[in-house]
Amino acid sequence: MPADAAIVVDARTTFALEMAGISKRFPGVVALENVDLRLEPGKVHALMGENGAGKSTLIKILAGVYPKDAGSIRIGGREADVRHPGDALRQGVKVVFQEIALIAEFTVAENIFLEEYPTGRVGSIDWKAIRRDAKALFERIGFPVDPAAKTGHLPISQQQMVEIARALAHEARIVVMDEPTSSLSPSEVALLFAVIRRLTSLGIAVLYVTHKLDEVFEIADSVTVLRDGRRVSTRPIGDHSHQSLIQDMIGRRIDNLFPRARGPASETVALAVAGVSTDAKLRDVTFAAHAGEVLGFFGLMGAGRTELAKAIVGYDPIRAGTIAIGGKPLHPHETRTAARLGIGLLTEDRKGEGLMLELPVVQNLSLAALAQFARFGFIDEAKERATAQSFVDRFRIRTPGLNQTIKNLSGGNQQKVLLARWLMRGLKVIVVDEPTRGIDVGAKSEIFALIDRLAGEGLAVVMMTSEMPELLGLSDRIMVLANGRITAAFTRDQATQEKILNAAIA
Amino acid sequence: MQRSGAAVLAAPDRRRVMSDISHPARPASLVGSLTSKNQIVLVAVLAVLSVGISLAVAQFYSGANIIAILRQTALVLVVASGMTMLLITGEVDLSVGASIAFVGVVAMDVINRTNSVFLGALAGILFGGAVGLVNGLIVTRLKVNSLIATIGTMMILQGSVFLYSREAVQNHHHIASFVDIGAGYVGPFPIPVIIAAAVFVASYILLRHTTRGRYLYAVGANPKAARLSGLRTDQLKLFAFVVTGLLVGVAGLILVSLMNAGQPTAGRGFELTVIASVILGGTSLSGGRGTLTGTLLGVLVLKVIDNGIIMLQWSQDLQMIVPGVVLIIATWLDLVRRRADAG
Repeated sequence: MPADAAIVVDARTTFALEMAGISKRFPGVVALENVDLRLEPGKVHALMGENGAGKSTLIKILAGVYPKDAGSIRIGGREADVRHPGDALRQGVKVVFQEIALIAEFTVAENIFLEEYPTGRVGSIDWKAIRRDAKALFERIGFPVDPAAKTGHLPISQQQMVEIARALAHEARIVVMDEPTSSLSPSEVALLFAVIRRLTSLGIAVLYVTHKLDEVFEIADSVTVLRDGRRVSTRPIGDHSHQSLIQDMIGRRIDNLFPRARGPASETVALAVAGVSTDAKLRDVTFAAHAGEVLGFFGLMGAGRTELAKAIVGYDPIRAGTIAIGGKPLHPHETRTAARLGIGLLTEDRKGEGLMLELPVVQNLSLAALAQFARFGFIDEAKERATAQSFVDRFRIRTPGLNQTIKNLSGGNQQKVLLARWLMRGLKVIVVDEPTRGIDVGAKSEIFALIDRLAGEGLAVVMMTSEMPELLGLSDRIMVLANGRITAAFTRDQATQEKILNAAIA
Repeated sequence: MQRSGAAVLAAPDRRRVMSDISHPARPASLVGSLTSKNQIVLVAVLAVLSVGISLAVAQFYSGANIIAILRQTALVLVVASGMTMLLITGEVDLSVGASIAFVGVVAMDVINRTNSVFLGALAGILFGGAVGLVNGLIVTRLKVNSLIATIGTMMILQGSVFLYSREAVQNHHHIASFVDIGAGYVGPFPIPVIIAAAVFVASYILLRHTTRGRYLYAVGANPKAARLSGLRTDQLKLFAFVVTGLLVGVAGLILVSLMNAGQPTAGRGFELTVIASVILGGTSLSGGRGTLTGTLLGVLVLKVIDNGIIMLQWSQDLQMIVPGVVLIIATWLDLVRRRADAG
């Protein structure tokens, strides 16, 4: 048993953290079953697994958010009793959650010392000391944030840095990061990695929770994979390949993440965008997308990907330029016209702009196509359900039924529902914005296959992405956005990661 | 904290179990299956109340009293039908109480001037609709939060009704057909009950069976998703405001007919009764969820309580206190039930 091994090793090394035999049950489910995890000081250990594998439960137990049902936690070689988020912090464990837990209205410095303000002689808060200490701290981790800035005004990447700085302020020996790059641009990721390396050089153990393969190979020293609440493997990163990691995560092999079954694109222009500018971001954007092709747009955070996506489907207003779908101008510039002409957006913000979370699958599916099932405004529900069922089957949407509330579906299946919503309506052009954000590796390959199939069926797919592998793996042509302008265009054969990044930074 | 957190976390794991189940047989009704569970609590409350009060006071279940309860229910239900739609779109209208009084004053005044019940009724309904339209425009065009916007119009209406008429407008012509709107019968049924039933059925069909109804839910559930799907969200919200306003017009006619005078001070607190009924019926304040059957039950519960307090000869003050307590408990029970459902 791994538990025995731990005792043997313990005699030689002091681990920064040892979690042994951790189990956790929620009513009706076993979330964790006898899971071990060990962190060495000064090393980055990655914790991987698909959604629902138990990653979050494990770190929430470590953070004191949930009590564990069984197992032990040792921090710095000593038995630790973590019952409350405050306990974890006191014992040197800082968890940086995905949802930033800072008070937006406070300044950066105020947030850093939130738990324990330094006080002056009469017990009043020593604001000067707070600002001074915060400044010193930022210099230590080499990050230029203004301690007097209001936290809510900072971009997510900088708020994350504030959280990490908070960890240091509390002299944490263990820093846990939960999917830290999910909303960062590549340059911000690079900055984060530099900070992580600085943390490890200070002897801090870092637990890096993610499902992004590339990052693990770049930053981690070793990796533990969880699946269905059990530990599948713990190995040095050198022993892993992409293949072996995916296999550990999903329990089966995926030979080709980007299958290509479609034929060549046609010459027919499905979408023509000419000289489009917006007040906010876009400057003179001109391009055309052909029926049957996947046109990939790459851009760093703030380059204008989402702005472009929302402008060409009539959601956001444009200041100049024309947009034509199948030769017909998008006029008036509104989503209703867009949908009628046959262009729709698969949003990057599934929860905020896509799903009706509390409503059943069938209503989420039929939203855009409802008029097709109606006569004189009255819905033919039998017809609606039959069509919805056919899409559930065709897209292999895993749901216990059409009446299931959509929030209970996995991210991948939710995404398929949103895709099906548009296809039920019938489109010429679909704009997909970060189509695989927050989706498991297994479900990703299905979404890729779907996109390939849609293009094969003659749709023009305009894909906005910040994920280099999916850009290169799916696109027929690639355009690069920087500061709201198109700075380069490549065919699939010309494009390399380097060329694309160079154009994106321009 | 701990409990709800556990529920959230358990959800993804439950999915794995569910994904192995093949599609079960299709349940008979879509919205129905969603709502029936919501209403068990209300039906139970209604039953317990009715039986309890009947045991204490036998007159409670006399025909005359049941008719009285239905008549009381009718007035609230007419406006609550519109309010349900409005809440489903994620908006609210607090001005309905002030508006219903103004409607009465306007209708009575027009009848006095023209000697025509039809013109008076038309004027009252149009006035109500116009108030709804103004509320809707303030919310959709000026983007003012509907809670605040309609508190504003409520205050404006409460003040301006006195500019229109210092005191109650009496029925000068004593037209019988006017009194019938509130007090008349068709066969055994009071006319207000028939009006309310018609409003209820029409609203039910609209919400349950038409594309427009479905779009109202969509706008409330996720306005951005609705707009991305090609819906005109502002127009849909405006529709719900205007419908609510027109129904306030209808209810205003019933009220003014019952009082046989246009009272500037009528309808104080009416908005609270209406909104409380709708919320009690399980409609979400945040939009996207709610049913008319729930609203009907909500109105009935409040009106049975009202009536029961009178029958039992309890202090009239309890007529405000008890519904307040019931509203809080029912909403809490609904939360508990939903949390239990979530695992």
